[in-house]
Amino acid sequence: MSIFKGLGTVVKHLLEDPVTISYPEVERPVRERFKGKHALKRYDNGLEKCIGCALCAAACPADAIWVEAAENTDEERYSPGERYAKTYEINMLRCIFCGYCEDACPTEAIVLEHEYRLSFTDRRDSIYTKEMLIDAPPDGVPETPQKVEPGAFDRAIPDMENPK
Amino acid sequence: MPDKVEFVTIFIDGEAYQVPKGANLVDVAKFYADNDIPVFCYHPKMSPVGMCRMCLVELGNSVDRQTNDIKYNADGKPEVMWFPKLQTACTTTVTHGMAVRTDTPKVTDARDDVIEFILTSHPLDCPICDKGGECPLQNLTMRHGAGVSRFDFDNKLHLDKHVPLGELIYLDRERCIQCARCTRFCDEVVGDPVLGFHERGRSLQIVTLSDPPFDTYFSGNTTDICPVGALTTADFRFGARPWELNEVPSLDPYGPEGANISLSTRLDRDSGGVTIIKRVMPRQNEYVNEIWISDKTRFGHHHSRAENRLSKPMVRREDGTLETVSWNEALNTIAEVLKKSAGSVGAVAGPMVSNEDLWELRQLVELTGGSKLGIWPATMTGAEAVAQVGVGTGTNFKDMGKGTTIVVVASDLEEEAPIWFLRTKQARDRGAKLMLLTARPTKLDKYAACILRHHHGETLNAVNNLIGAVLSSDGFTFEESRAEGFDTVKKAKYKGDEAGYDEAAKMITGAENVVVLVGHEGLTLAQHGDVMQSAANLLILTGHVGKPNNGLIPVWPGANTQGALDLGFSAEATADALSQSVVIVAGADPVGTDPAAKAFIASADFVIALSMFDTATTAIAKVILPRQSVPERDGTFTNGERRVQRFYTAQGLIGDTRPDWKVFSQLSNLIDPAVKVRLSAAAVMAEITKNVPRYAEMSYKNLARMEKQFPDVGGDDLYYGGTAYGNHGGLGVQWPVDAEAAGKKLTLKAVKSEKTAKRKGLVAVPVRRLYDRSPEFSASQMMHQRIPSAYAQLSRKDAEKLKVVEGDDITLVFGDGKVRVTAKVDGSTPEGVVLVPVNLTDNPVPTAPMAVEVEK
Ligand code: SF4
Ligand code: SF4
Ligand code: SF4
Ligand code: FES
Repeated sequence: MSIFKGLGTVVKHLLEDPVTISYPEVERPVRERFKGKHALKRYDNGLEKCIGCALCAAACPADAIWVEAAENTDEERYSPGERYAKTYEINMLRCIFCGYCEDACPTEAIVLEHEYRLSFTDRRDSIYTKEMLIDAPPDGVPETPQKVEPGAFDRAIPDMENPK
Repeated sequence: MPDKVEFVTIFIDGEAYQVPKGANLVDVAKFYADNDIPVFCYHPKMSPVGMCRMCLVELGNSVDRQTNDIKYNADGKPEVMWFPKLQTACTTTVTHGMAVRTDTPKVTDARDDVIEFILTSHPLDCPICDKGGECPLQNLTMRHGAGVSRFDFDNKLHLDKHVPLGELIYLDRERCIQCARCTRFCDEVVGDPVLGFHERGRSLQIVTLSDPPFDTYFSGNTTDICPVGALTTADFRFGARPWELNEVPSLDPYGPEGANISLSTRLDRDSGGVTIIKRVMPRQNEYVNEIWISDKTRFGHHHSRAENRLSKPMVRREDGTLETVSWNEALNTIAEVLKKSAGSVGAVAGPMVSNEDLWELRQLVELTGGSKLGIWPATMTGAEAVAQVGVGTGTNFKDMGKGTTIVVVASDLEEEAPIWFLRTKQARDRGAKLMLLTARPTKLDKYAACILRHHHGETLNAVNNLIGAVLSSDGFTFEESRAEGFDTVKKAKYKGDEAGYDEAAKMITGAENVVVLVGHEGLTLAQHGDVMQSAANLLILTGHVGKPNNGLIPVWPGANTQGALDLGFSAEATADALSQSVVIVAGADPVGTDPAAKAFIASADFVIALSMFDTATTAIAKVILPRQSVPERDGTFTNGERRVQRFYTAQGLIGDTRPDWKVFSQLSNLIDPAVKVRLSAAAVMAEITKNVPRYAEMSYKNLARMEKQFPDVGGDDLYYGGTAYGNHGGLGVQWPVDAEAAGKKLTLKAVKSEKTAKRKGLVAVPVRRLYDRSPEFSASQMMHQRIPSAYAQLSRKDAEKLKVVEGDDITLVFGDGKVRVTAKVDGSTPEGVVLVPVNLTDNPVPTAPMAVEVEK
């Protein structure tokens, strides 16, 4: 009897649609909360959200992030406030995609997005620099550094919500 | 904590402790009960003001008014009458039977409220704040802060951020919690009242009151003691987060005080991924610099990775061109020359050359049959005087107060040794008397109890006359068993009746402790030697030798001048050393800093220069070897108080450099293969301990030894003393002088007073300025604004005679050199002299006083 039961299973699977897809021509959408390659975000005015605080680097359990900060001026402004990330690197070979960096960031600058196609043939290429991570500025908005009005952006961290 | 005090019983959270009467409650709780009472405005190095209310505790009294005894109840607990309201611990001194509660809900609630109140005006921009991670406010907020805010953000007070207080320090007005530590530091500790409060209440702001702004040599220390990130340095600004830094113990490479520092290092992309210094922090050594360092020490570290540093050995070819060569070739070239030198080899070592380097250099020179070992600058001498009566081991300016007389001879202490200036000033604030034997007014004048003014160059007579006054003072007796040679002093017939010297003599004979700091302003090398000897005589005659806080401290020109003297180098030998046929110059630039040196060195056939930078000396050298900076290597320096201290490798190597000791050791090996190459600085020191009796105890292990220090800084409890770093590199070891050896007889060698020659013409007197144009210090770009431009200072009378006014360009002509400088005219300059700062001009200026003509 059990032999028929087994055959039945085989036949059932023969009639089903195959689950394999023909990657890369076809791509399967990821879940909404999937954690893939990081992106450094910008405000609508094109300024970088990242203020170079290195809290992400401190939170990272894999020691994958390297941040070096420098000072903004109104002539050359990268981000609001006094400080911006001069160097921002993530070593994707080290990263375990835990998302702690995202949690640590005080300005929601670093976000793990849905890109998962990370491959390299040289270990050195696994270090993603700021240029590779940062989003392009919105349409019609200039790249950073921007020349801005003096005193317009003196707060690094957006105002918090008032207590209810 | 000072000893010799009465102890009383107090109760902290129910436990009884024996503590010194009159001590500060916060200190006592920390030291004896390991109870951290949180503070913001209180700082153990400054008097309390009670401004922040963070230190509230419950106070009570358990003493019976009638019997003055502590009342105990049946179960042995003290019966305490509690004050109804909370009290500030920082303004409380402990008394017999005092009871304190620090852990009751009432106390914790009060602390929580104070934090909540402070945060209402604080921007909370910790993510971009340089103090974030080592911030007392952050730490206390973590412990006492409310989890949620009750505060409307629109009510936050917004003030200016990023306000420059001068070009070295930035102020963030929002972050300031108005504790007044910075202003009190300037007023109380340094005596430069350059910061002040402006406005009132919530808008209270720190402003600088001086021009140039924040004009003090100690401004960086305020950033350490500021309990928040309101004051930060331009040097470190956003350099790294504190938790990313690696702290390496090191030493100030500039001054004779041997200030202990901690180098905060981190990998750096811009420097090609090597570990570099991000900032310099003070390292606590209560014997040496407590927790303070000068701005020169703090900001003068950029030479270790300056772009123009020499990075490869170079050999000068026949046609005069320099060629970069391998170390092997350079060393072989030198070894060949040394082998053929027939003993005509001299060496001159600069002020930043470590003991290990000096020792190996001496071995090399002696191996070739040479013996001339000089130091640079060759301005000060007196190794013998120091060996007899240098300050006693265990000397600590902090213990000097009432009963101590500090004598400063021929030195502008603030410019030459800022840490000693600071500590002298503080000793005077505690009741010590300050006596100056100087030729012109300096900043110390306003603290002096007695000033014996004399002409430049006549310091010897001033010291001798003081001895004369001591000898003729009432009741002076001399114990002949202590020292021989008293008859030479009697025979010298010093004048004892100069006006003002009586009083001065009393200040010395009547004092419990006497320390004499001797500089060299206005003195030739020979004169300086005499002054050192005479100062030693004064100390021996009055018995102020051989015990802590008594004796002689020379204000040496360099961080390791003392070490050089200990290891057989001397200023007297410098001229000879420079005129040998082969001259090794390590870490010095004689040609570029002294017009006389050029003439000496001209006779040398072969100059070997070890240098970090291109200098006038490397320009005539046949072989140039790149030196390593202090942070790149291990080693030891000996400070002016004869304390041998270690510095450790902190920075990654820049260029293809080797430590000097290794270079000399390898050369010795090339000349005589029987000489083993030393493999580490520690191995060289082990050799020194075996061969130099005074250094027998100076093994690296001993030098790294620690003891518990007070205040307890640099631990997890950062809110206590600011961000000075704890000491993990050792306190160093002092070598004892003859006067401390029981039964050893000292020798008095009277020095005859000089006939005062009729003064005619102008004399150029070299003076030292803290900020100068030495290649090491001028590598710190940020300090350039503070370095004075080349000038010479004239008295009003002389200026009038020469028709020179302030700001004129003048030419100084002396011996065989001349130099163009800007004239400064001021009332403090004595007539007949032109004060010429060394190391400020492109062309060398005299390093000893000499006749000068001023041309317009
Ligand atoms: S996802 Fe996790 S491992 Fe990767 S960089 Fe962020 S914190 Fe580090
Ligand atoms: S990504 Fe966020 S946490 Fe990381 S440095 Fe930038 S602002 Fe700071
Ligand atoms: S700047 Fe810092 S040290 Fe000065 S009062 Fe404000 S918080 Fe205190
Ligand atoms: S009031 Fe005591 S520490 Fe500020």
